[in-house]
Amino acid sequence: MSEKISRRTFLKRSTVAGATAGMLLATKTPGYAQTDKSDENTLIGSLIDLTKCDGCAAYDTPLCVTACRQKNEHRFPQPQKPIKDYWPQKKHEDWSNEKDRTDRLTPYNWTYVEKVQVNWNGKTKDVAIPRRCMHCLDAPCQKLCPFGVIEKTKHGAVKIDENFCMGGAKCRAVCPWDIPQRQAGVGLYMKLVPELAGGGVMYKCDMCADLLEEGKSPACETACPRGAIEFGPYEQIRKKAYERAKEIDGFIYGDVENSGTLTLYVSDVPFDKIDEAIEAKKKAENDTRFGRPHMKPEIENMLETTHGYMLATLIAPIAGAAAAGITAYKVLSGQKKKEGEKQHESKEEK
Amino acid sequence: MSQKKKNKIYRQPLPNRFVHWGVAISIIMLIITGIGQMPVYGRYLIVQPLGTKWLTSYEITLLVHYFFAATLLFFTTYHIVYHVMKKEFDIWPKKGDVKGSYLIIKAMILGQKEPPSEKYLPEQRIAYLYFVISIGLVIVTGVIKVIKNIMGVQPTNGILFWGAQLHNLATVMVILGVVMHLAAFIVKENRKLLPGMFTGYVDEEYVKERHSLWYKELKKRYEKQS
Repeated sequence: MSEKISRRTFLKRSTVAGATAGMLLATKTPGYAQTDKSDENTLIGSLIDLTKCDGCAAYDTPLCVTACRQKNEHRFPQPQKPIKDYWPQKKHEDWSNEKDRTDRLTPYNWTYVEKVQVNWNGKTKDVAIPRRCMHCLDAPCQKLCPFGVIEKTKHGAVKIDENFCMGGAKCRAVCPWDIPQRQAGVGLYMKLVPELAGGGVMYKCDMCADLLEEGKSPACETACPRGAIEFGPYEQIRKKAYERAKEIDGFIYGDVENSGTLTLYVSDVPFDKIDEAIEAKKKAENDTRFGRPHMKPEIENMLETTHGYMLATLIAPIAGAAAAGITAYKVLSGQKKKEGEKQHESKEEK
Repeated sequence: MSQKKKNKIYRQPLPNRFVHWGVAISIIMLIITGIGQMPVYGRYLIVQPLGTKWLTSYEITLLVHYFFAATLLFFTTYHIVYHVMKKEFDIWPKKGDVKGSYLIIKAMILGQKEPPSEKYLPEQRIAYLYFVISIGLVIVTGVIKVIKNIMGVQPTNGILFWGAQLHNLATVMVILGVVMHLAAFIVKENRKLLPGMFTGYVDEEYVKERHSLWYKELKKRYEKQS
């Protein structure tokens, strides 16, 4: 297991980030440069135990999915029809005719259960995987939204502001799991110039942020009949996930992926095998649409690659000041030297 | 007039041209890659011109954006430090510049003689202030954006929202500024300034006629030196 490495990386990153950001901003704007560490007390994590989940075999639709739909139904998009294409493209994303789909993520279905068969240790095992937003610790969707309209609650839930989202789908593009799903014909862009710009609104799980605010459990946890989904203080959940993994000699997903998420899966089969099974199933079904995320282990956060550039950005002004200082000094001392020579010449003439 | 050339005046020393073109290239690349951070190229560039595929990658455009953000910071800091050390503030706006600009534009439209000017025309000084404000805002919000992208830093929702909104606003301001800056050369009288940013020199006759106050000052300085 990657417990030690993960923990060390997490703390190291938090310390470096905290020190750098603190040095730059915190003195003037306290509270800006919070690190993950300082948030640890309020963060809510979730543990999804795949050894317990059976995808609600006795029901047509898993109960967590039904509960999520019922809880969020009032927020589902009501597009104005006919929906126009994303000019100049000849397409748009419309799920309004597939509102009842529960077999993938859509703007009308924010969690689903992927069911696959995995070959492991010479046996074939049925695995049911509840999927939804992972609620990343360093969420690229939130940090890179060009309009800054994705929030993080004090509990760490990543929440899209449906009233201001323009539906550009950048959040989906930068999410390693392509989680947010787009519905055209709704949202702010319809009030601006819908023919030319904007694409709708992005929808995804918000961890039932309103319920968490009230101290209640998210709908999926409450509905799960097997206790496979559990929410709680992040550090406790994390500890529990590792204990459970040790107990079953199993594997964890979500702790190091995308530099850490608040959602931790525990399984007795490796996640690369689960990922292979998901991809094979999608291929067999010729399914290329968004909404059925992979489960590739140890995927990187795209913001990791920007570290060196950040340093360059901070050094640049120092380099600029130094270069200017040297140039100006040379010019000024050259002028003084010339003036001195002139004075000397004029004295000699006298 | 330290640099001498027949019938020419040395208007833009090397450090000025270095900063001007450095800032210009940085800003052009920042606009191109910044637009790449919006969901624009993937949607509107149906036909992908050769060599522009990278523009549709958020990751690559972000890295290139960072690179030119660093060069912009380098050149702007250089500009400030250099001119403060040399105590050169010719381009800084002065009292009465708004009225002065009006009089010059009026004279240009009516074909009258322009009021005498210093090294920079009043409207050039106002344009400079506009760039100071817009580029300043784009830099401040940009630095905030760089910091918020550091792993482990969690900005508040307000910082994230206003950082993005003001950065976008400042970008629009800079784009408008660049358009206005280039549009100034539609006016024939202004075109004589162009060689200054390439070779450093402009025609002496032009300076004598349009920047007569500066010309007098240069003459006085030259006489004192010789």
